[in-house]
Amino acid sequence: MTPTQQLIRDLFVTATLLPLASSLIVLFIGKRVMGKGAAWFATAAMGCGFACSVYGLRLWLEHAPGTILWNVPWIPLPAFGGGWLYLGAMIDGLTVAMMVMVTGVATLVHLYSIGYMKGDARFERFFAYLSLFTFSMLGIVISNSIMQLFVFWELVGLTSYLLIGFWFEKRAPQLACKKAFVMNRVGDMGFLIGFGILFYKLGGRLLLPAAAGAVDAEGHAVVTMFDAIRSVIEADGYSITNPPMWLTAAGIGLFFGAIGKSAQFPLHTWLPDAMEGPTPVSSIVHSATMVAAGVYLTGRLYPILTPGAHLFIATIGLVTLVMAACMALVMTDIKRVLAYSTISQLGYMILGLGTGAYAYALFHLITHAFFKCCLFQCSGSVINAAHHQQDMRYYGGLGKKLPVTALCYFVCTLAIAGASIPYSNLGISGFYSKDGIIAGTINYGHAMAAFGPYAKLFYWGPLAVAYLTVFYMARSFALTFLGKPRDQHLHDHAREAPWTMVLPQVCLAAMAILSAPFIMPFWLDLIVGSEPAAAAGWLQRATDLAHGPAMHDTHAGLLQGVGWIIALVAGVAIYQPGMAISSKVAAVPGIKQLYTWAYNKFYFDALYDVFTVSLVKTVSRIVGTIDKYIVDGMVNLAGWTGRFGAFLTGVFDSQVVDGAVNGAANVAASGGQLLRGTQMGRVRAYVLFLFVSATVVTLMVITVTLAAR
Amino acid sequence: MESQLLNWMIFTPAIGAGLCLLPGISKQAARKIALVASLITFGLSAQIATAYYAAGLDGVQFETSIEWIAAINAYYRVGVDGLSLPLVLLTTSLSILIVLASWKIEKATNAFMALYLFLFTGMMGVFLSLDMFLFYVFFEISLLPMYFLIGVWGGPRKEYAAIKFFLYTLAGSICLLVVMLGLYFLTPAATGAGNTWVMVSSDPGVVTLQSEAVRGLFAQTGEYWLFARWAFWLTFIAFAIKLPLAPLHTWLPDAHVEAPTPISMILAGVLLKMGGYALMRITYPFFPDAARYFWVAVAIIAVFGILYGALCAMAQTDWKKLVAYSSVSHMGYVALGIAMMTRTAFDGAYYQMIGHGISSALMFFLVGVVYERAHHRDLERFGGLWLKWPGYGGWSMVGFFAGMGLPGLCGFIGEIMVLLGTFEAAGNPGFDPATVYTLGILAAAAVVLTAGYILWMFQRVYMGPEKPDYKEYASVTGREYVIMATLGIAAVVFGIVPVLVFNLTDPTFTSIMKILGVSG
Repeated sequence: MTPTQQLIRDLFVTATLLPLASSLIVLFIGKRVMGKGAAWFATAAMGCGFACSVYGLRLWLEHAPGTILWNVPWIPLPAFGGGWLYLGAMIDGLTVAMMVMVTGVATLVHLYSIGYMKGDARFERFFAYLSLFTFSMLGIVISNSIMQLFVFWELVGLTSYLLIGFWFEKRAPQLACKKAFVMNRVGDMGFLIGFGILFYKLGGRLLLPAAAGAVDAEGHAVVTMFDAIRSVIEADGYSITNPPMWLTAAGIGLFFGAIGKSAQFPLHTWLPDAMEGPTPVSSIVHSATMVAAGVYLTGRLYPILTPGAHLFIATIGLVTLVMAACMALVMTDIKRVLAYSTISQLGYMILGLGTGAYAYALFHLITHAFFKCCLFQCSGSVINAAHHQQDMRYYGGLGKKLPVTALCYFVCTLAIAGASIPYSNLGISGFYSKDGIIAGTINYGHAMAAFGPYAKLFYWGPLAVAYLTVFYMARSFALTFLGKPRDQHLHDHAREAPWTMVLPQVCLAAMAILSAPFIMPFWLDLIVGSEPAAAAGWLQRATDLAHGPAMHDTHAGLLQGVGWIIALVAGVAIYQPGMAISSKVAAVPGIKQLYTWAYNKFYFDALYDVFTVSLVKTVSRIVGTIDKYIVDGMVNLAGWTGRFGAFLTGVFDSQVVDGAVNGAANVAASGGQLLRGTQMGRVRAYVLFLFVSATVVTLMVITVTLAAR
Repeated sequence: MESQLLNWMIFTPAIGAGLCLLPGISKQAARKIALVASLITFGLSAQIATAYYAAGLDGVQFETSIEWIAAINAYYRVGVDGLSLPLVLLTTSLSILIVLASWKIEKATNAFMALYLFLFTGMMGVFLSLDMFLFYVFFEISLLPMYFLIGVWGGPRKEYAAIKFFLYTLAGSICLLVVMLGLYFLTPAATGAGNTWVMVSSDPGVVTLQSEAVRGLFAQTGEYWLFARWAFWLTFIAFAIKLPLAPLHTWLPDAHVEAPTPISMILAGVLLKMGGYALMRITYPFFPDAARYFWVAVAIIAVFGILYGALCAMAQTDWKKLVAYSSVSHMGYVALGIAMMTRTAFDGAYYQMIGHGISSALMFFLVGVVYERAHHRDLERFGGLWLKWPGYGGWSMVGFFAGMGLPGLCGFIGEIMVLLGTFEAAGNPGFDPATVYTLGILAAAAVVLTAGYILWMFQRVYMGPEKPDYKEYASVTGREYVIMATLGIAAVVFGIVPVLVFNLTDPTFTSIMKILGVSG
């Protein structure tokens, strides 16, 4: 390991550990020693982490040091010839990009929280949790193996539980945090199954595929998951295009973890409920961290996914993005619109990874993190200004009162819309990332054309939803900031948020513009460079990576046109006067039913309540009853029988043997007197009785054994 | 001197017990005696651990052997190896905390401390015996003090719980006794070495019950294959009751609910581990062929136990009972790990025992802290405890999340290794991969149920607004915080540094796996 590599590694490891340290300090001594300053302390620590990451990024761009691997033995695996399950760090382009993005966004969210959480009874503790949460996410990003990924994966689950349930006095957050954790665990169950299969098949060699070709700190070559899979399946006469069943199963199993964390269909229902957490939590959970983890995992697994697994992933992504967009269209709670929009955008990323648009899907993860975090922060500022009213039907005309917030919200609306200057190659960040994904889906759709007309859905779906996205975002913008105030009282009291809240919004909105490749090319370059070269050579994919000529075709044909402008104008025009027009449309038969379905979230929650939650609770009650009355009942029956036998023996005893203990004494009711000699004698008598009977049984068994020979 | 260390470790608590019972010893003095005896024993165990480490961690060390009952060839033979040492350390260190947790017991304090110390001697004896007869004696000795500790100092239904505990586990012991007698009578004829009770020994001249010659008798091709199959199940039942494995578990919730807090801690923390320890020490190495023969049945029972325990836990409204059933579920992982007979699963099962020793002790203590003040354990009547005592809430989170198997805490490593090792068993000769995968999937499903009942409990007890009757609760004392923090920190340490255990167990487990003959 060269000194530069070492320095880069140390920088990123420090950036990962800093929030852990600050979290523990704040948790244990923060309130007593620093008071409210604890918040600034945590923010500063996070900022230092960001500085480390940025310095690491600079060094990385300057020296192009190649994949850095650092393995720390953790759990010994003597079964596999002295192998280990490792913790440590693996740093490639994707890691670098994610580290910088996550630390940056987290710093801004910390800063934002200082304003937003002001006056909360557990102000300091919030920052401890927030830092711990960031640490968990950074642990995932820097993971060198599936093992470490899973460790931090679960920690993200725990810390999100703490954050979503931060206001645990109230009922709704309690339910929301529990739901988030349990639904994530459902995904984790799939993860564990995939993990188990790979563990067995690969003999515990679980270093991430991206580390293929890298050397460890001592300069030894390592066997990664990728190498192991390749050798194992090739030894059995398989290849990645003709893979064994188990590899597809393992890939899909691990992806189930991503379904849970990234809120994909059918485990998406926790995410809208997670809005019960404080808004800064929403802004970090739904942009840079938790939901990003699932996409990140899928990206990390990308080289070992089989065509079957790809199809599965693409399908899940497609269903999710369409479904969630429909729901976002009808929600009236500003945070819920954003929540469903998050699910839909995550669907894009997952679809992108499924269809082979590796680089653009992960690039969308970065750009989305900036603009979605900003959107949530803006919504937080609005909610704060509106006395915690979250229903957009009571807003209207807030743009005049909160001009900076409105501007930021608008910029990010353009970003999520993928806006560009018509007939040019210049656009906002979301334009490049989303367009790349759509290009990938077109390739995939063509490649899958042999499978019938349904293959077309893979690109018509995301394309249609791209315009739908513009429309529902324009709707939320218009309802909130434009038109006339619909609640005068609310409007009169609305004020722009303090600078700690406005500054992060502005920074994030700026990043939504600046992360476009023609301004900051490194984001995309880092990710493109992170796809393992070894993998690319070996994998004969059904699709090509979605860069290259195909992309320019989509530029010309799709988003680069004026389509997004039409959708935007339509959205603003319809909703600028409030819900008046739309409620008439929603009353039209046919549309009405659709509207009701979407408004009730396609009844997923009701379905799950009946078929899983209630079912499990009922089964547990039945099992508990069986345990109490049947399993334990049999034990008690045996006890009573024994006691009755003892009673008979006792009667016999007292009749025949003079001075024997009173067999009718209630053994079970004499606890207080147990120390008395007669009772000791009773226990001894039991032991003697059992010894004798044991000897008899033994002799019987031996006789049987000998007889059977 | 070193050869005497083990004897001192076993009998120091017994001497302490004797001192507690002397006339004229005050309650406070009895407490101090118990504390000092625990500290001394802990110090000795630490010394043993260091010496064992220095001696290269290999095989049985510090073996002492004295002829005891010549007529039946029974020896007082003690020693320590990688299988027993971590559990010994767990017992001695937990013991200090148990004494501290019992500090406020006012009812017949001297008798309580004496009985506890007798129990301590029994536990040490079980883990340190190398002779099966001696093992059996200690196994039984540990029952009696427990019987009185529950029966005298317990809750409202203490008599019922105590007698149930005693008879149920005694019934298990009878199964063991049957096998012991069988082994005693069947082995000498074939080995020509006379009767033997030796389970394992550092002396190559001693014929042990797991030596190749004796195992040959009970192998599938051996003379006593029928007996071996019986013996496997009888010992399995004996230790499954102790573990306890559903459906042989119903003594446990009653015992826990009625037992005073420190006794619940030691019961869950150490006594249950005797079952798992004995499965690894006796059932599997003595009858490996039978174990392979019956692996499906055992694994199915184990997975059933995991899911059954979790579902029962979910149905409870008594807080302590919920924790007790979570023990049933967690011990299912121990049984599963052993049943799959792969190294990873075996290691995992063992780690699960250590991890559960820490987390369950902490969980029962956490329940006890509240019960002492509320005098009820009805989950529906709690809520908002986190607001009332933030520090207590924090340690509770550590304890219950360790129980849930969250990474970074002690429950995780055992659980994940058992799961991974279960999948690994698909490669075992004679193990049907489809069955192995099915079992693995079912075991993985349990993580959802576990999260479900722990989080639901957490919500009902800790979240929400404070209840008005909390005003009368005394605040959590420093002594209580010390116990919580010690166990909580241990839960974190053992969640992060698994080699603390695996370094000690490695060579011993390698030889056990060789005997099992399934995989490396």
